[in-house]
Amino acid sequence: MDILTGLMHGFQVATTPLSLGMCMLGVVLGTVIGVLPGLGPPATIAMLLPLTMKLDPTGAMIMLAGIYYGAKYGGSTTSILLNVPGESSSVVTCIDGYQMARKGRAGPALGMAAIASFIAGTFGVVALMLVAPALAQVSLAFSSPEYFALMVMGLAMVVLLAGDSLVKALLSMLVGLWISGIGSDLFTATSRFTFGSVQLLGGIEFILVAIGVFAVGEVLANIEPQDPPKMLPVPKGIRNLLPTWDDMKRCRFAFVNGSVVGFIIGVLPGAGATIASFISYGIEKAVSRHPEEFGKGAIEGVAAPEGSNNAETGGALVPLLTLGIPGSGTTAILLAALTLWGFKPGPLFIHDQPQLFWGLVASMYIGNVVLLILNLPLVALFAQLLRVPAYVLQPLILGVSIVGVYAADASMFQLGLLALFGLVGYAMRKLDFPTAPLVLGLVLGDPMERALRQSLMMSQGHLSILLRPIPATLLVFAALLLAVPLFRKVNAIRVQVLEREEA
Amino acid sequence: MKPLARGGDFWSGLVLAALGAWIVSEAHAWDYMTDEGPGPGFFPMWYGSLMVALSLVLVARTALKPPTREAQAAMNWKEIARALTCWVAFVACVGLMNVLGFAVSFALLTWFIVAYMARRPHREAAAIAIAGSAVFYGIFSYLLDLSLPAGYLF
Amino acid sequence: MTRTRSTCAAALAALATLVPFASHADWKPTKPVEFIVHTGPGGGNDLLARAVVTMLEQEKLVPVRMQVINKPGGGGAVAAAAVADRKDDPNTVGFITSVWLAGPLTAKEQKITVFDLKPIAQLLREPAVFAVRADSPYKTLKDFVEAAKAHPGQLKQSGGSITSRDNIVREQLEHATGAKWAYVSFPGGGERLAALLGGHVDIMVIEPQEAGENVRAGKLRVLAQVSETRLPKWADIATLKEAGYDIHPTPQIRGVVGPPEMPAEAVKYWIETFDKLHRSASWKKYVEQNELEDAFVSGDAFRKSMEQTSKELREQFVKAGIKVTR
Repeated sequence: MDILTGLMHGFQVATTPLSLGMCMLGVVLGTVIGVLPGLGPPATIAMLLPLTMKLDPTGAMIMLAGIYYGAKYGGSTTSILLNVPGESSSVVTCIDGYQMARKGRAGPALGMAAIASFIAGTFGVVALMLVAPALAQVSLAFSSPEYFALMVMGLAMVVLLAGDSLVKALLSMLVGLWISGIGSDLFTATSRFTFGSVQLLGGIEFILVAIGVFAVGEVLANIEPQDPPKMLPVPKGIRNLLPTWDDMKRCRFAFVNGSVVGFIIGVLPGAGATIASFISYGIEKAVSRHPEEFGKGAIEGVAAPEGSNNAETGGALVPLLTLGIPGSGTTAILLAALTLWGFKPGPLFIHDQPQLFWGLVASMYIGNVVLLILNLPLVALFAQLLRVPAYVLQPLILGVSIVGVYAADASMFQLGLLALFGLVGYAMRKLDFPTAPLVLGLVLGDPMERALRQSLMMSQGHLSILLRPIPATLLVFAALLLAVPLFRKVNAIRVQVLEREEA
Repeated sequence: MKPLARGGDFWSGLVLAALGAWIVSEAHAWDYMTDEGPGPGFFPMWYGSLMVALSLVLVARTALKPPTREAQAAMNWKEIARALTCWVAFVACVGLMNVLGFAVSFALLTWFIVAYMARRPHREAAAIAIAGSAVFYGIFSYLLDLSLPAGYLF
Repeated sequence: MTRTRSTCAAALAALATLVPFASHADWKPTKPVEFIVHTGPGGGNDLLARAVVTMLEQEKLVPVRMQVINKPGGGGAVAAAAVADRKDDPNTVGFITSVWLAGPLTAKEQKITVFDLKPIAQLLREPAVFAVRADSPYKTLKDFVEAAKAHPGQLKQSGGSITSRDNIVREQLEHATGAKWAYVSFPGGGERLAALLGGHVDIMVIEPQEAGENVRAGKLRVLAQVSETRLPKWADIATLKEAGYDIHPTPQIRGVVGPPEMPAEAVKYWIETFDKLHRSASWKKYVEQNELEDAFVSGDAFRKSMEQTSKELREQFVKAGIKVTR
């Protein structure tokens, strides 16, 4: 059926009281889960699966999807307020979001996160609706060489995250790459850097390092001075709690950036929301007129990653519903759920089950609207959290970190690692090493290595496989990204020289 | 919090150079290149070597430009001691969880931070510790049915 | 909320002294039961355990609450250690897959292996099929093997880790025929399928359930099945033996085990429970829906078959040049 008929049919399905109820339940539950670190959509959906057996599949799918994208809305809350990433994909939001909170702009940060999530989430649904089958076919052209180029582009972002010292940023990234490689090698089953510990065989979880370095490290740094620097008071009044028109204007490009980058990367089975958020942040910084503000509280630095992790949900549903290929942990469970209910996602899915597909699409429109309406007033509520004195917030952050890590993997060893990375985070701040490149290296290291080795296996060792059109383009793009700050530096030197001559 | 600037770079450079050297030595034991492409030793060799090179650059820079007086002043050892004490308390809290359980350990940590780190009156510290611990327990363990470390007490 | 292990152990020790006197009373669990799995939520093992919980509840086979505990990491090593930690707890059951057999062979760090645990029963076998794109020139497995012989090392297969069944079958086939083709590892099933559909690799070993829809839509073609007998849904596809390759692929199994000192009463209870489960209607439906093979083997017979499989795996690894550490 064509798109308009399908959509109308879908809205019919999605606006029945049952569907609306399931949608509400899903998005609210999703938001709560997103806010709480350590609890994520995969775990929650897996736990709810038995219950869904008793429900109508369309309604159940609507609810589970609601949890999926709802969590992306909530994930930014603790990232902004406490520097504790609520979701892996919200790690990047910590960078500028937390700094905004420290400057008294927690409200606008939270509000912008919600708005950007809404815009990009809706874009994701629209794109899913319009281009799903066609895009799925195109996405199949993406394989290891293309992923490798994408990861290289991601790592080139290091230059943009560098701050003052490029050498230190690179060292930080290299340490991240190293940590990423800890564990059992996929291709040869060799154990690397496991120090003989069985617990390290599976590698170190990224979110654990992020929580340790960002949250715990920050608490330690803040506790140094006897009188901690007070966070600027949260201003009163709804007007001050939401982004201003100026903010919205500044973020124009960020909305587009987040939506497109998030959706496209979501479509690719091998790349996830975390990578999408890093890349959109990098692109935003690269094209910004005030790049030096990034890392110190630039609102676009919140809008771009938050948008991209929401658009990613729409994108991830593309390979799932059109090819039966799950692109991430959550979509893998959704696939299991669909199979459990007797549906089989694949190329014939949209054709065989139009009411499920279109009902889902329509409910995602509704869900995004509901989430926006739900989250904006919550901004006021959550922002009040910052009025609490520092000595209450600090144990709170430490407690949330412990619970978050333990909930994901209940072991004292993991908590020990958390403490270790907390110390590392503190040391990095003390020694002025930027922390974002470490996280970037950690996220991209292993996938990049895998992609390179897979590519060379496919081409029997010929590097020329990387010169196919897509990887070549991405590598050139990466080179450009590296060139931009270089160009700026050269330009700045040129200006300096000119000024000296005129004086 | 004040970053340590130049002074710290010298030592951190050395530590990272040592780490890089160790990575390279471990990587020697694995295959660098196999028939099917790069082996497990390939990447570590590269990033290990880069790490050594860059950290030596860092060390060299500091050696050539000795730290300024104000940079030396930034080594605020008293405050660093505070942060490290807090870290030790955190480690102790985690370590005790197996014995005392989450609720008690976390309450102790909270009390430590409020009473010692922030020098608030003991009653306030105790109140916050107990309330905080109860709230955490209530939300995470009761409402959400997550498992929290359990010891001999609860 | 998890109960304290010490009080549990003390209570059990007390109860254990009564066992010789209570030989007529069949043991039943009275405390909540925990199923330990080695994947995170949503992983294959986790989903099976949750499905089993649902089915046991539906069929009213277990009188207490059951909970799934995730202990991911180290390819089953962490979960194995967790089960072993429970010593003689009758309320703990570990869900195993063949990964628990393969893992210890290559990972020296793993101290506890599945053979340190009490075998309860094997539940399922997971079949697989060889699939190629529908527009590829290979109509039978023989076509592919011949092509591989003609261009050694140029054709590619996507699959999981080098110790997985996908690769072992490939190694066995290569040795039996003298053909050689490359193997590209992808950690996720989705990526492997995408690589095949996108034309980046030529063939893969895939679970029939994953391939089903794409076959139906005309994108994939199945060449042969990796199983002893033909699966009901794929009745017109030859098995490896029928296709002319007399190799016995190591089976991919799923089963349940208990802690090392689980009391005999409890082991008996669990064997009986899982036996009743595998005869039930909801189990049959599950097996059919997921295109698995019901393969119930209990107690010692299970242990023997695992030992056999482990031996075969070790041989295969050595032949494939994978470093074995045990």
